[in-house]
Amino acid sequence: MSHSLKSTVASLTVAACMAGTAFANPYADYEGTTLIVNFPAHPHYDAVMKILPEFTAETGIELEVDQLPYLKMRERQTLELGQDEGEYDLIAYVVFSKADYVFADQLENLAKYFMNPKLSDPGYDAGDLIDGYVYNIGFAGGDKGYLEGATGSLFGIPYGSETSVLGYRKDIFDKHGLKVPETYDELLEIACKIPELEPGMGGLSSRAASGHHAAHAFLLHLNPMGGAIFDDQWNPVVNNEAGVKAAEALKTIVDCGPEGATNFGFGEALGSFLNGDTAMFLDTTVVAGQIDDPSKSQVVGKVGWALHPMGVERASQTGGFGIGIPANAENKEAAFLLMQWLTSKKGDKLVAMAGGNPSRFSTHADEEVNAKYPHMATFGEALKHADPDWRPIIPVWGKINADLGTTLSKVLTEDLDIQEALDGVAERTKGVMTEAGYYTWN
Amino acid sequence: MQRATANRLTPYMFMAPAVVIMVIALLYPLGYMVWGSFRDWDPSQTIGEAEFVGLKNYITLWHDPNFRESLGVTLSFAFFVVTFEMVIGVGLALLLDRNIRGMSVLRTLFILPMMIAPVVVGLMWRYMYHPTVGTFNRFFEAIGLPTVDWLGANALMSVIIADIWQWTPFIFILSLAALQSLPRSALEAARIDGATGWQQIIHIKLPLMMPVLIVTGLLRLIDAFKVLEVILVMTEGGPGLSTEILALRISRTATEFRELGVAAAMSNYLLILLLFITVMMFAFTRWQEMRANRLRAAVEEDE
Amino acid sequence: MATSYERQPPAFYALIAALVVMSVGPVLLMFVNSFKLDVDIISGTSGLIFLPTIQNYETALCDVLWYKPDHVDHCSLKFGNAFGNSLIIALVSTALTLVIGCMASYALVRFRFMGRDSVSLTTLMVRMVPPAVLLVPVFGLWNNEFCIGKTTYVGSLIRETFGGRGDVCLAGTHSGIILVYVAMNLPFVIWILQSFIVQVPRSLEEAARVDGAGPFQVFFKVVLPLIKPGLAAAAIFTFRIAWNEYLLASALSDRNTKTVPILIVNNMSEFNVEWGVIMATGMLLAIPPIIFTLFASRQIITGMTAGAVKG
Repeated sequence: MSHSLKSTVASLTVAACMAGTAFANPYADYEGTTLIVNFPAHPHYDAVMKILPEFTAETGIELEVDQLPYLKMRERQTLELGQDEGEYDLIAYVVFSKADYVFADQLENLAKYFMNPKLSDPGYDAGDLIDGYVYNIGFAGGDKGYLEGATGSLFGIPYGSETSVLGYRKDIFDKHGLKVPETYDELLEIACKIPELEPGMGGLSSRAASGHHAAHAFLLHLNPMGGAIFDDQWNPVVNNEAGVKAAEALKTIVDCGPEGATNFGFGEALGSFLNGDTAMFLDTTVVAGQIDDPSKSQVVGKVGWALHPMGVERASQTGGFGIGIPANAENKEAAFLLMQWLTSKKGDKLVAMAGGNPSRFSTHADEEVNAKYPHMATFGEALKHADPDWRPIIPVWGKINADLGTTLSKVLTEDLDIQEALDGVAERTKGVMTEAGYYTWN
Repeated sequence: MQRATANRLTPYMFMAPAVVIMVIALLYPLGYMVWGSFRDWDPSQTIGEAEFVGLKNYITLWHDPNFRESLGVTLSFAFFVVTFEMVIGVGLALLLDRNIRGMSVLRTLFILPMMIAPVVVGLMWRYMYHPTVGTFNRFFEAIGLPTVDWLGANALMSVIIADIWQWTPFIFILSLAALQSLPRSALEAARIDGATGWQQIIHIKLPLMMPVLIVTGLLRLIDAFKVLEVILVMTEGGPGLSTEILALRISRTATEFRELGVAAAMSNYLLILLLFITVMMFAFTRWQEMRANRLRAAVEEDE
Repeated sequence: MATSYERQPPAFYALIAALVVMSVGPVLLMFVNSFKLDVDIISGTSGLIFLPTIQNYETALCDVLWYKPDHVDHCSLKFGNAFGNSLIIALVSTALTLVIGCMASYALVRFRFMGRDSVSLTTLMVRMVPPAVLLVPVFGLWNNEFCIGKTTYVGSLIRETFGGRGDVCLAGTHSGIILVYVAMNLPFVIWILQSFIVQVPRSLEEAARVDGAGPFQVFFKVVLPLIKPGLAAAAIFTFRIAWNEYLLASALSDRNTKTVPILIVNNMSEFNVEWGVIMATGMLLAIPPIIFTLFASRQIITGMTAGAVKG
């Protein structure tokens, strides 16, 4: 075994020398290592699964992937990262897990890997990574504790990150001479006009189901309306005028949406758009691949893309996943090599071509990618407005998010008064924040 | 001498494996949970590292509107489920208590729903309730009725219907068994006295079945508090908290909100509630036995 | 048995037909849908006119198929593995529960000993504990307390043989899940077997004892064969719970010990609900219980009545 391994290494080295491109194979030391990787069940990572064999072929590093639904994945990680020695060598984490993991010292600071000349690829071009994503997903320790800034540093690299765009049915819009909405007023007007123009069709499909889904849909509208969850002193301001307007927008959208919209999770919302039951879809960019897949979609070729409409400003979502190395991992260096390979220019383009979400500016501008996915240019444009501070990424966010989502779901289904509902959220949030010590210095 | 010691030890040897396993994997965990419920406990800590906070978790929960709502949902779910299942199950048993061909085949088909995994039941019903592609709404559309927003506005009702589908057969089978073991002589006597079918049911069959029915109902009630998977798959507790039964809230609190202490306290509340029902059930059976004994004694005295 | 059957009015048969449709319909619907493509399930032109395909089953079983189906480009669903786990866990825990449970209930019925009443009462009480209540403590204990340090002799031995990292804990192993299931099912099994053991005539046991059999011989050679119907009923109920349970298994299993219910719930992932494949996996999970029901309905009904009437 070790003999054949050695001879493979030797022959690879010889091959590399003869090609004259490198003096040594940086992967040689790690050949034959098996990395255990934890990824979510998510369209981007489904695309990643397709390109992983290429990594193994190129580097000789074997991979074993544990793919889980993302809430499940988070549970699993909570457990694994808490152990002295963990199973996983590389994990993908949901953006709001960043706070928990970094705070508990469970993610490796990436500085020591980028400093290591044997590991770090000089052609990596970190400046090409979309900065909004890097700050949102990868950084911690800077402004507000969870963003970039003078005291911040890097713990992960965005991978499978996403922003929000508006998808619309070109055929329906053409048929009725509708203009693609630029602002929220236009968006809401068209959303409610569609059911009149096209009986049986909903305006815009949005997620609205209790919990995370409803909260997410609300946040999508909150920032463009100029609202926020907290002001700069961590006081909850979700119940101000902008907050109420955002909740009203959500309610209008759901009321004018397809049948059963109040219980839509992401899957159902997307499903109804794919099925041609709604004329618009305002959510993450990850869906593009499925919309063009004839085995899943009835609207192939009928969908156009536009920027997330503006309220008082343009502010599209930042979210999705990043990849990082657990502090208790066994093969950290090999894991870094995988991470670097996946997010390199080459890896990013490969995954984009396989239907994933690129995280580099250059990939969005790439001709080949654009030829295959014409929407990529609009997505690249949308990224300029991506707001890294789209939602607070603090350890107690999970709880606030759950409360927000449940309360909003009540607004949508039980006609709870919006102002009253948001006041309640603000009050409970204040309690949570007090308990977590955010007002210690006031 | 040796033989005698061995004899005395025999029952303990028979009991030992069961006791050991139940202590390790049931009683100790329950104690551990009670202990944990007094702590501010995060999944990344071991219980020793967690801070002791006294009754704080219990008090927070008591004042938490979400917990109260979820408790309300649980109680009304249990109430409606048991009521409907009892009425339908007993009704069917009375109707089908006839001498017909193929009764055993029928019973086999009826118990099928109970045997299937709750996860699968949930997924079948989630499909059937689907707003556009689901069986029910398609059927309604086809016959020109307005469609229903099953898992949206009427989620609790829909969940209750699914549970009724799965568990009514349980009540049915047990009441049928009870009916068929009724003393024939009492029924004969009633028939000779000219009692109509209804009179027989109300004055003879139901009172005689009552002990079994009450125990069955209480068993079902306890089980209704254990339901989790069906609802998890169908609605995940939504919309709002409208179907978030306590079992589901416990699991969400533990895994999603990462508050093991609060989840433990919630588990204790649920346990106390169930303990109360169980004790009621014991009290009832004891009372039944005592009454039966007294009656027997009275009869013997008469003779 | 009475052989004369009464004639019933047509409305009665209509009612029976309706009941049969209601109880079997959903299962049949799932069965039919598992042979449809997603497009056929969603498109609305439903009914029975479609081209049946085994594609969904191929996707579900891709890790145990000997050939690679054309439509699966990456075999992500490890159904075969999960099915194996489910089988191991359900069978072993059922066997253990039965052996341990009937020994205990024999002791409770036949012997008077110190602590008998408290054991019997505890058994009754813990029957009502819902799995959700066990979630928190079992999660904590199995992951953190019930562990063997990896530096100890046994721990290092296990790590060397089976691989893996960190301390050797119950969580993530088959035995961990089996232990919970055995403990959860024991009270029920002890309870319903008592009513069967009571009926075994003492004289038979006495006779065996006179012939010189020890208590264990009496138990295994005389009592066990006589309570077979009870054992069958108890076995089916225990198997059913172990086979179908989701919550605790999902808290305790890791990527190699996932059971089928976990796989199904995981696969209802929010991003894209593949109805066809899910129905196929659901059908595969439902097959063993359906077989039991069809072949052992009498035992199931006996078990149910014994469990409740004595309750």
